Amino acid sequence: MKLLTHNLLSSHVRGVGPRGFPLRLEATEVRVIPVEFNPDFVARMIPKVEWAALLEAADHLHLAEVPKGPTQGYEQDETFLRKMHHVLLEVEVVEGTLQCPESGRVFPITRGIPNMLLNEEETET
Amino acid sequence: MDRGSSSNPGISHDLPVLRDCINNFGSIANMSDVQEATNQLLHVNLHENQRYIHVTESVPRSESEHLRVTIGATVPTGFEQVAADEVREKLRSSCKISKDRGKIYFDISVESLAQVHRLRSVDNLFVVVQELKDFQFKETKEKVLKDFEELAGKLPWSDPLKVWKINTSFKKKKTKRKKLNQNLSKEKIDNGGDKRDERDVKKELSNNALDSHILDYYEKPAIKEEISTLVGDVLASCKNENDESSKEDTDPEVLKFRVTCNRAGEKHCFSSNEAARDFGGAVQDYFKWKADMTNFDVEVLLNIHDNEVIVGIALTEESLHRRNITHFGPTTLRSTLAYGMLRLCAPQPSDIIVDPMCGTGAIPIEGATEWFNCFHIAGDNNPLAVNRAANNISSLLTKSQIKEGKLSWGLPIDAIQWDICNLPLRTGSVDIIVTDMPFGKRMGSKKRNWNLYPACLWEMSRICKPGTGRAALLTQDKKCFTKIHGRSIRNQYVPLTGIEPSTLQSAG
Repeated sequence: MKLLTHNLLSSHVRGVGPRGFPLRLEATEVRVIPVEFNPDFVARMIPKVEWAALLEAADHLHLAEVPKGPTQGYEQDETFLRKMHHVLLEVEVVEGTLQCPESGRVFPITRGIPNMLLNEEETET
Repeated sequence: MDRGSSSNPGISHDLPVLRDCINNFGSIANMSDVQEATNQLLHVNLHENQRYIHVTESVPRSESEHLRVTIGATVPTGFEQVAADEVREKLRSSCKISKDRGKIYFDISVESLAQVHRLRSVDNLFVVVQELKDFQFKETKEKVLKDFEELAGKLPWSDPLKVWKINTSFKKKKTKRKKLNQNLSKEKIDNGGDKRDERDVKKELSNNALDSHILDYYEKPAIKEEISTLVGDVLASCKNENDESSKEDTDPEVLKFRVTCNRAGEKHCFSSNEAARDFGGAVQDYFKWKADMTNFDVEVLLNIHDNEVIVGIALTEESLHRRNITHFGPTTLRSTLAYGMLRLCAPQPSDIIVDPMCGTGAIPIEGATEWFNCFHIAGDNNPLAVNRAANNISSLLTKSQIKEGKLSWGLPIDAIQWDICNLPLRTGSVDIIVTDMPFGKRMGSKKRNWNLYPACLWEMSRICKPGTGRAALLTQDKKCFTKIHGRSIRNQYVPLTGIEPSTLQSAG
């Protein structure tokens, strides 16, 4: 699971609503898998990123050199864009967990795939 | 995109395999060498790339360079316009869309044949021998069939046959390499598929780029479950290739052929079988070929739609459908259909594209291959499906490795196990949804669909970005669908044949 995906995920446990974001990320196995750098893609993605959530997740994975936010003129700043590219697309959580901040419900990540299925009682009717 | 400029084609490129091809060009003297070099490029070019087109043009001139032909392509019905757009974009040719549904026609020079095979929205290809727009069918069957017989000898066969010949040598090379790879993979299975260290993988990669994809493939523990399926597939296709090689050994002078006739129209006094038989008889007399319905070299197509008769020669044997999916599930969608649906949504760079009922992942995988400047998410509630999708994604990773000589590179795609009725995605965070909704015939039931669809649609509209969000949903159950979604959704029904699904494009 990439950090860009984590940035989109939100807990859907009953009654939680928007307080279910962001999910708390813990990892026991992380891999770095290079992905083709596409500056246009990264630049356009920046405005869509929820920064606080990204920084928190990166922190839990003990990632270094994570920009704290978009810099002035970031669209042309290749160093910045490459760092963001790395954080968003190249760090893969292979084994770990995602926890709902409100309900405490834990979702496992196995072989890179988060399992977000809930039981009957936990879902909205 | 970080791909450098396209002005200096092959020389500045970093690919070891491609460099070898370019070195070979220096010694090219005749047509067969041109074909060999082009074939190597064809094998490397698993992915659309402007620069590869330039390299093809630097091939030394030969007589066939000036040959222009009309190519016909079959496409999923309803997607003719999408396919025409792709042809215009990639081949710079305009298309004629036939009244005979599911076919488009365009002109190319023979040099572009390799690129034609890389079109993603087409199922089958053929080269047009002649198009007879207003065929005057005579009143009696005997007279009509006689006309077909006489037609055979009058057609301009020579250029199309040249194209067929070039095309056949593409396919032969491709088959040989496929056989090589599958023999290697079979050995891997016998060795127990032991897990390799990253360093070992890298070392072996420098020896043989082709082997690398096998090694990495078995690194993934999820693969072990699928091994029994894989062995079956490998053995099956090895068998097919043995048949093919015995085909190659037969006398090259006498070709084997068959005629396939497709007839549509109410006013015909003959059947397609009769037309195929008599036309075929005349073709046989004309060329002195041998007729063989199953083991043929040349497949002549006789397509009759009302008053339009088109004679062609097939360029593809099997459909281009199953391109990317190495692990089939019970309801895997055709890649050409997946491509068409994605293209309908006009993905923009950095769009988030989700398939919330992905099955084996046909749609997101097609997406990640063709729209690599978007981010794709494949989700399903079924653990088998998600695992299969992840396996297919892994296989894709290895293709992209071979292509670029890059070790263990990834793609902008992720897989998640989730419930469509309760998507764990932020509201308004997704740009495009493309999915194949459960049909109720092969999966689930019509009754379940009644309950499933409202919840699905609700969730899908929730996660979709307001204003610009869009979706392409494939469903067979039109009645159920129409009853459920509201007035606010704008529709574009695109009827397909076969299992009669309909595609909707709605603004979120």
